[in-house]
Amino acid sequence: MALRHAERGGWRVVPLGARAHGWGKMYCPHNDPDCRCGEFCVTVVWGTPRSPENHARQLRRVVDRCVGGLRAFSNDED
Amino acid sequence: MTEYTFTLAFSLGSRGDDTDALIERLGAAGCDDAAVGVGRRGRLALEFTREAEDAARAVGSAVANVRSAVPDAVLIEASPDLVGLTDVASLLGVTRQNVRKLIVSCDAPEPVPVHAGKPTIWRLAGVLGWLVREKRYPVSAQLLEVAEATMQVNLAVEARDADPRAQAEIAALLA
Repeated sequence: MALRHAERGGWRVVPLGARAHGWGKMYCPHNDPDCRCGEFCVTVVWGTPRSPENHARQLRRVVDRCVGGLRAFSNDED
Repeated sequence: MTEYTFTLAFSLGSRGDDTDALIERLGAAGCDDAAVGVGRRGRLALEFTREAEDAARAVGSAVANVRSAVPDAVLIEASPDLVGLTDVASLLGVTRQNVRKLIVSCDAPEPVPVHAGKPTIWRLAGVLGWLVREKRYPVSAQLLEVAEATMQVNLAVEARDADPRAQAEIAALLA
């Protein structure tokens, strides 16, 4: 759900393959000097986060804070 | 137990090369309660949502977890601590204008900034304390605690460059 939100915001979600912790990475569509994501331009998606709810919220925050995340995507409830 | 939200930024040096291996080490070291940002070469940022008895323990254990995964990671900054008007606004969930009105254009003396310029930078703990004291503004206890904890971490980070003799002399002047 958080990942669908990211993809709708133009982020690319790429699985890492068989790993114990990192499930994948999501890439900001605006990875350029103007982007405010900074380090979070590439954000790790945990396979088994300590709290799935919190992790989903964190990933949503990253997307929404992004310069291209825009408020337009903050309405979808899923 | 209370949940605290804060971000730690690190410089990685050469260890930042194999990002995927780094991610696995962070996961194994207990950073699975953080959003991990690896989008800048040689840098690492982690936005934690961590449960702990208090904010100092939350931030402290997070620093320890990262350092156990990447021993030569150098802590750059813990946030939220050094903030501008926009940061304060987003932390309080109000508009920037709203904060400007509260802080800049009011009768009470402003909270003392760390840097008075464009932009002016404050320590969040100072701003929140001031808002509570002078404005009776409702501020969450968690945020106050986190601001205090991140400030203490950053003061320690800054002290890496301190010359003990110069510091002792200056402290006497400021006393």
